[in-house]
Amino acid sequence: MVPQGAANDSPQHSRMVSTPDLTPNRVVPLPDTEGGPQPSTRPIIVFERVNKTYPNGNAALSEVSFTVHPRDFVFIVGPSGAGKSSVIRLLIREEAAQGGHVLVDGQDLGRLRRRHLPRLRRKMGIVFQDFKLLPTLTVEQNVAFALQVTDPGRRHLKEKVAETLFIVGLEDKLHRFPDQLSGGEQQRVAIARALVHRPRIFLADEPTGNLDPDTSWGIVQLLLQINHRGATVLVATHDREIVDLCRQRVIALEDGRVIRDETGGQYLEAGEATL
Amino acid sequence: MNPLPALRFVFRSAVQNLMRNLGISVASLLTVTLTLLGAGAAVVVVHALDNVLHTEESRASVLKVFIADHVSLASIMNMDGQLATQPDVRAVAFENKNEAAREASAPGGLNLKGALRLLAKTGGGNPLPASLNLRLRTISDVTSVNQAVRSSAIIYQGPHPTDYNPNVIPRLERYILIAQVAGVLLVALVGAVALVIITISIRTAAFVRSQEIEIMKLVGATEWFVRWPFIVEGMLVGVVSAIIAAAVLLGGGFALGSGHTLALGTGLHFALGVSGALIVAGAVLGGFGSMVGVRRSLAV
Ligand SMILES: Nc1ncnc2c1ncn2[C@@H]1O[C@H](COP(=O)(O)OP(=O)(O)O)[C@@H](O)[C@H]1O
Ligand SMILES: [Mg+2]
Repeated sequence: MVPQGAANDSPQHSRMVSTPDLTPNRVVPLPDTEGGPQPSTRPIIVFERVNKTYPNGNAALSEVSFTVHPRDFVFIVGPSGAGKSSVIRLLIREEAAQGGHVLVDGQDLGRLRRRHLPRLRRKMGIVFQDFKLLPTLTVEQNVAFALQVTDPGRRHLKEKVAETLFIVGLEDKLHRFPDQLSGGEQQRVAIARALVHRPRIFLADEPTGNLDPDTSWGIVQLLLQINHRGATVLVATHDREIVDLCRQRVIALEDGRVIRDETGGQYLEAGEATL
Repeated sequence: MNPLPALRFVFRSAVQNLMRNLGISVASLLTVTLTLLGAGAAVVVVHALDNVLHTEESRASVLKVFIADHVSLASIMNMDGQLATQPDVRAVAFENKNEAAREASAPGGLNLKGALRLLAKTGGGNPLPASLNLRLRTISDVTSVNQAVRSSAIIYQGPHPTDYNPNVIPRLERYILIAQVAGVLLVALVGAVALVIITISIRTAAFVRSQEIEIMKLVGATEWFVRWPFIVEGMLVGVVSAIIAAAVLLGGGFALGSGHTLALGTGLHFALGVSGALIVAGAVLGGFGSMVGVRRSLAV
């Protein structure tokens, strides 16, 4: 087989050419999307003047607007409490916006029926700072879990799981338990679990928050690779070093407002690298 | 979605969950077993008490109406027919003087054996009156029927025209009422305690697995998938606990009883009925408890 990441890059996405060369050593390709090719003009994520206030009166987001296109890679940055996690929580519809609109794949989440929530979540993969692995399950079982609870009749489940664990580089640790893995490896398991549905949108909330710099860089490379293979990736982080190194689009939040939205390391060139 | 794999998933993950959280499973199993055991024992004891009182009641629900000597057989038969049509009378039996004498001299009968033998020897005749023995439907009928028959013309006129005992009947009636009310209260109380305990223990299990529920929701499992393994798990705990409780009750009943009969005069049919009811109750309580326990974790 041939690595397909580069071959998938269409001209409209040439702005992502600045992606660090990953020299992918993994030969298993991620299929493009489950829904087939989309017109690339239609945004996959839209925030339109979104306001979010928590029941206790905390205003987390105010008038937040941005647009993400399919296959974009976006960092959401900002100090603690800026509203990064709130953006993620609105995207997976764990929270609802009080004002404005959140659209995913053309669907207004404010009008999403409760029973359609699982369908939305299957379009997305999500990982967190604390991995959220089930301690009593092996690596393989943790990943298989995501398929079993959504589609138990699925055939070739084991193969699918093995393939996904190969992508994240854990094919030789199938039968370990989470506490027998390093932090970086645990996050890779979480990534595999989020990836096993082949989601079109991949969300990561402080994915490197518990990891040392070297390990963090490995995780970020994996996320870039996932993006390279066709997924839209949103990463909320306050890890300035990584953001600087990647030279991807950055949406900066502060006190729940978008203070900057720049593509491909522009802010670095402008010399104001304050996150 | 294919229903068969879904069903298999639900059962398999219910069993897996039980195995994986063995400590909690065993703890809730024991708690539920003990509670069901308590409920079962309460039912059995109440039933035994009820049996005893029922025996007493049916024994006490017989009213002997003594008949004066020299009354014609026709008028006795007439009275017999009249009484038999009364709604509160279950059966009427005529007992002649000879039968009365035989009954009195039978073992366990009145202790008049010697006196009767003596009377017969001396040719003194039989002093015992004939009677109409009324078997009444309930004990509370005894008093009213006793009142009604006293005015009859054919009745034996003396200090005791019937064998009605005003000291026994009302007291027995009161005991039966108290026992019935207490029995219902006891079973209801133990049942309510069982429900609360099961709900709490399943809720604990659901809380322990809140991370799992969180992940299921994140990866897009439907509520059906989140809910049913828990419900099945709760039902399994309930059923297994009920089987253990029933086995302990039956085993204890046979051990305390004599030979092949159960203790407290419990019939085998009743014992099996209680066992079946416990299993159904265990399944229902377990399933219901899980549903309550898991509902909170399901809120988005
Ligand atoms: N569940 C919540 N209830 C109340 N306030 C919250 C909740 N989650 C976040 N907040 C508040 O909203 C603001 C943004 O939080 P968050 O989105 O978590 O920021 P970040 O992820 O950038 O640190 C903060 O002021 C925080 O205290
Ligand atoms: Mg956060």
